Amino acid sequence: MTRTLFDWDAGEPLTPEEERMIDELEAKLRPPALPMAPYPPKAITLASGEVMVVRQASTDEVDTMLRIIEPVMWLKRDFFDIVAARLFGELLAWKLHRVRNEYCLVGVVDGELAGIVNGRLVDEKHGMSYHTLTLKRGLRVGAHLFASKMEHHIEFLGQDEVWIVAESPIGHRRWMIEYPLEEKFDVQHELGGAPSWVLTRETYFKAKERLVSGTRPVPEELLARSWPIREPDLRVMLVQVEDLLESRI
Amino acid sequence: MAGTVDAARCRACARLTYPTHYYCPACGGREFEPVPIEGEGTLLTWTRVHALPLDYEQRYITLGIVELDMGIRATGRLEMGDPAIGRRERA
Amino acid sequence: MRDVAIVGVGSTQFGRAQWSLLKMMCEASHDAIVDAAIGERKIDAVYVANMGSVRTSRQAGLASALVDRLNLFPAAAEVVENGPASGASAVKHGVQAVASGMCDLVLVCGGERMNEVNAFDATETVSYLSHRYAEYVYGVTLPALAGMFARLYMDRHGVEPRHLAMVAIKNHANGARNRKAHLRIPVTMEGILTGPDAFMNNPPVAEPLRFFDCCPVSDGSSAVLLAPAALAAEFRPKPVLVAGIGQATDCQAVHERPDPTQLPAVRLAAEKAFAMAGIGPADIDVAELHDAFTILEIAESEEAGFFAPGEGAKALERGDTALGGRLPINPSGGLKARGHPVGNTGVSQVVELALQLRGEAGDYQVAGNPERGFALNFGGFGNNVVATVLKGGV
Repeated sequence: MTRTLFDWDAGEPLTPEEERMIDELEAKLRPPALPMAPYPPKAITLASGEVMVVRQASTDEVDTMLRIIEPVMWLKRDFFDIVAARLFGELLAWKLHRVRNEYCLVGVVDGELAGIVNGRLVDEKHGMSYHTLTLKRGLRVGAHLFASKMEHHIEFLGQDEVWIVAESPIGHRRWMIEYPLEEKFDVQHELGGAPSWVLTRETYFKAKERLVSGTRPVPEELLARSWPIREPDLRVMLVQVEDLLESRI
Repeated sequence: MAGTVDAARCRACARLTYPTHYYCPACGGREFEPVPIEGEGTLLTWTRVHALPLDYEQRYITLGIVELDMGIRATGRLEMGDPAIGRRERA
Repeated sequence: MRDVAIVGVGSTQFGRAQWSLLKMMCEASHDAIVDAAIGERKIDAVYVANMGSVRTSRQAGLASALVDRLNLFPAAAEVVENGPASGASAVKHGVQAVASGMCDLVLVCGGERMNEVNAFDATETVSYLSHRYAEYVYGVTLPALAGMFARLYMDRHGVEPRHLAMVAIKNHANGARNRKAHLRIPVTMEGILTGPDAFMNNPPVAEPLRFFDCCPVSDGSSAVLLAPAALAAEFRPKPVLVAGIGQATDCQAVHERPDPTQLPAVRLAAEKAFAMAGIGPADIDVAELHDAFTILEIAESEEAGFFAPGEGAKALERGDTALGGRLPINPSGGLKARGHPVGNTGVSQVVELALQLRGEAGDYQVAGNPERGFALNFGGFGNNVVATVLKGGV
């Protein structure tokens, strides 16, 4: 058993017998999982000229991501606090096998985490979009990653619909108009009270040329540089997250 | 473009203005009669605007300035699908 | 008329306010007062530049509120509202008050807190500048007017999308050197125009203008302290002088202008300011222009007389307007990167020029000891323009 920052009550190591018993109980708590096609990585040249690799994250990277997300939970601006807090819980649940069919994509620039998106499969045909957290701001990283998430659901996971709600009214309104999303008010989204909106296969392919970008395959050497995720200077990151706003008059 | 919008013709010098002013820009007159904006014109410039204020549900709207044959210019919504500078347009 | 000196300058970080509008304005004012080292001397009048505080911060009578917070009683106090040109207008009123002999020390403080309301609301607020019945009701916003202007201007003068991108790249590069700028991110031609992902990075806002052609919605406050040059000599050796100010107006509805690709108010305001200063465009060493949209920097650089009509884009392409060029334009990053707190912009341009002429602009200091600066503050869509000429201390 590896101990991480978050095993606060570490205690004594377990005996093999204890471990076996816990495994049986543990197995009952773990949800069955659908097979999920991997997300083929892609490279996006940002406005700054920097290249962002969008790739699937693994559960081994969750602890690193949690350390980066944790301070963002206290940022009372643009709904960063609630998005970070919920994402923290979702990624932890994914690592500890307490959520079914979750996936996580990351945007990485030279090893540095630019943003995170996640979601899960409700069943083979229906997806549930969770969150989009942008750490590198001012370069439309959030828009790129949200589009990558939709791409994953429809093109690689082969789904018909993605159910979506937003915490931020502005984000909600932008997506509503940009894609545009349709009402799906008979579905209860997992993120709480608001009724769901939906992106269908048809609307996705209509918006694709306009909203989904990136180049595949990613050159080996570039892809290699997207591991491991480097922790940014958190203080610098927080100032940047707070200062840069992407709206125009 | 605009449906029932009026320009103003100065009763003193017959100069047509749109929008209206308190003094006629040509002679300083203050008496005007309304003249409906109508007829054809030439598109001077246009834009598709994606940054819209509140209350707009569209992704964008198309706006343009038309030089009307009746002798004024007007700014408004364009209904044509493929605007281009110099194209003919109905008011 | 008395000569008027800028004896103190101050500015907050631009971007997203940490505090209320008034607290930001207190910070900038405090910095200007400290910078001037006026000692026990009393400030006679306060001019505040702001456009939207009633809507964005639910505060009217901003100047009286500022006097209260700064304990400047019984100084005279007024708000000057002239849309995006409020800042330079307020500086002008301050200069008039000092030049006339009615006041000695005058504080001019600009402040705007746009991010108190959401982006759609900000667009709405700024679009109130357009003609209510001939433009606004059809959905005309400032970007829409800029888009229509840009299309016609580019068509007539052979300006291409890459020229607009060059303005953005230059000003983002300058802004990255200015630690108080809102956007401190360099951008590249590949990233915003020619690369495979450029369309998504830089989507249309008001065609042909795209995301990186438009300035951000910023919060920020700047302040200058003015004094008669003779009095300034007592506490601030070699102050920067306000050498000339010019202002001109034009039709509110853009389509009524005889030639919608010309900005006559820019030309007239600049001519008046140069005439008052007794110098010409060729004497200017550094300029801050109103690049709310990239096309405006090119058009204004011609209308103000720095380049012949149609030559602005070529000068840009040659690098003449870059930080190390013959006439650096917007070394601070301009509205494009330093940010555009609407009512404050004109004050911040004057602050930036004063820093340049004092040789205190740090990483974005124009080389060669610039002596004369020019600022252009553009209100509405060019229907009310204020130009200011500054001279370095002699």
